[in-house]
Amino acid sequence: MSDYQRLIEDHEAKKARFLGMGGLEKLSKRKALGLLDARERIDRLFDAGSFTETGLFATSHLPEARDRSPTDGKVCGFGDIDGRPAAIVSCDLTVMGASSSLNNVKKMAHIRRTATRNGMPIIFLNETSGARIPDTMGAQGTGALGQDPTQFLRDRQSPYVAACLGPSFGTGTWYTMLSDFVVMRKGAILAVSSPRVTSLAIGEAVDAEELGGWKLHTEKTGLVDYAVDTDEEALDLVRKFLSYLPSHAGQTPPVAPAPEESEIDAEKILSIVPPQRQKVYDVRKLIAAVADPDSMFELKPRFARVATTALTRIGGRVVGFVASNPMFKAGAIDPDGCDKITSFLVLCDSFNIPIVILTDTPGFLIGIDGERKKAPGKIMNFMTALQMCTVPKFSIVTRKSYGQAYLNMGGSRNSDEMAAWFTADVGFMDPNIGVNVVYGVTAESDPQKFEELKAEIGRETSAYDLASIYSSQAVLDPRETRDWLMRMLKYHSRAMNGGKSERRLASWPTTF
Amino acid sequence: MPEVKVESEITGTVWKIETGVGQSVAEDDVIMILESMKMEIPVLAPEAGKIVSFHVDEGANVSEGQLVVTLET
Repeated sequence: MSDYQRLIEDHEAKKARFLGMGGLEKLSKRKALGLLDARERIDRLFDAGSFTETGLFATSHLPEARDRSPTDGKVCGFGDIDGRPAAIVSCDLTVMGASSSLNNVKKMAHIRRTATRNGMPIIFLNETSGARIPDTMGAQGTGALGQDPTQFLRDRQSPYVAACLGPSFGTGTWYTMLSDFVVMRKGAILAVSSPRVTSLAIGEAVDAEELGGWKLHTEKTGLVDYAVDTDEEALDLVRKFLSYLPSHAGQTPPVAPAPEESEIDAEKILSIVPPQRQKVYDVRKLIAAVADPDSMFELKPRFARVATTALTRIGGRVVGFVASNPMFKAGAIDPDGCDKITSFLVLCDSFNIPIVILTDTPGFLIGIDGERKKAPGKIMNFMTALQMCTVPKFSIVTRKSYGQAYLNMGGSRNSDEMAAWFTADVGFMDPNIGVNVVYGVTAESDPQKFEELKAEIGRETSAYDLASIYSSQAVLDPRETRDWLMRMLKYHSRAMNGGKSERRLASWPTTF
Repeated sequence: MPEVKVESEITGTVWKIETGVGQSVAEDDVIMILESMKMEIPVLAPEAGKIVSFHVDEGANVSEGQLVVTLET
């Protein structure tokens, strides 16, 4: 055997040991549970053969732990998604619980710096027990952390995407909170600390699902966009989300082939939205009918359903929709709905995605519960975010738009171009309620007077009245909506900036 | 069989009950319709199941978070 042969064999053996992660026994246990391992996840996510690893031979800095810490529990590197480069941190729970250590934090910092400098999205596949013990014990252990002053600075130079695929505590959770899209496998836990640590700290039993399960995060906190049953579904959603985004903030999103306009059934809109304003409908069907076929990708679909936020394509170009959804709470926007919309505005403005706002709302949901949840502050956060948004904004009133909600939903000069369907009703409040508020008359107390006053108060609230003072620029037949949007997207092109926003919302926190 | 408690998401009155005890419903089927803010607001089945009991009658006032229907899934 030549010297080179020996070196080659030794190198291959070392590589195989590191690529073997935490060993066959642990890996086969995972497989039996239907879970992918850290490397299988990368293979599933990236285009075949494109993954290039950085830090395969990293280990714990502690001599006694070197042999049992291959790759130090976090597999990092670069690869392609649909031919576009991306960076990844994939936690390997089979190696020391994928806990954060001195050396794997260096790897993560390298990924972050490289992705930011070169305009690549970062994908965090989280499954980690948190900070590594004993590495972080004592003043020196703790003081050794935080050597990178921009570790948690989120200024959206490129998209971050997180998948919670197991327990996620500490650093895994922090990067998830900084991400623009989060998907969770059912059974995974996302929390500050593990149920055990939490339980010891507060002296009572803590249920893991209650502490950080998928229902909590997709329905109550809104910190997670989607919950799915398998690793594979989670990774497919990561790819799907990124297909709508540019690789970095200096680009506009990728353009897909435009559908044939003959495929679009504009008449369908008339059967989706009832002209009677007391009847509800699901605005998601309307968005799907206006956008390119099968292009609608809703974000946070189980959270604050009174507001719908969705990425779509129109004529192949990526467009973000914000809408009140009359199907839920009559479309009266509550504090969670404000948070959901604000976070979506941040996403669109940071990554050069034009925004379409569809309005059919009786106003902001009022009540004691809302005030306790800081409704006034949430409404102004939403409003400020909208006014700071410099991507093209288009607002369409489909039926109802009243009061402050009219402004929040892009009314008048809070959008680049505003239209109202001929079914629109715009005023200071719903005339049915306004009669009682202004005159103290209800339909029950004096039906005739009520109808008279309602007619009076409801005068001059039509789409044509709004258009007559040029606060809206068009009155649309609902069937014209898509065509109008395609034309407006063309003329409000931001051509001087190459279609890019000023990114004034790029460092806005979205988890409130 | 696990029970699913369905709550009203809004304060209003029960306008119409569209289903009956023992009836099977699919996810997002309309169970009953509330009236609030002059709108007809459906109470939807959060998941597929069978209706075990109603906790309100037509015409009743309901508040946000009030239990209105129990399903068995």
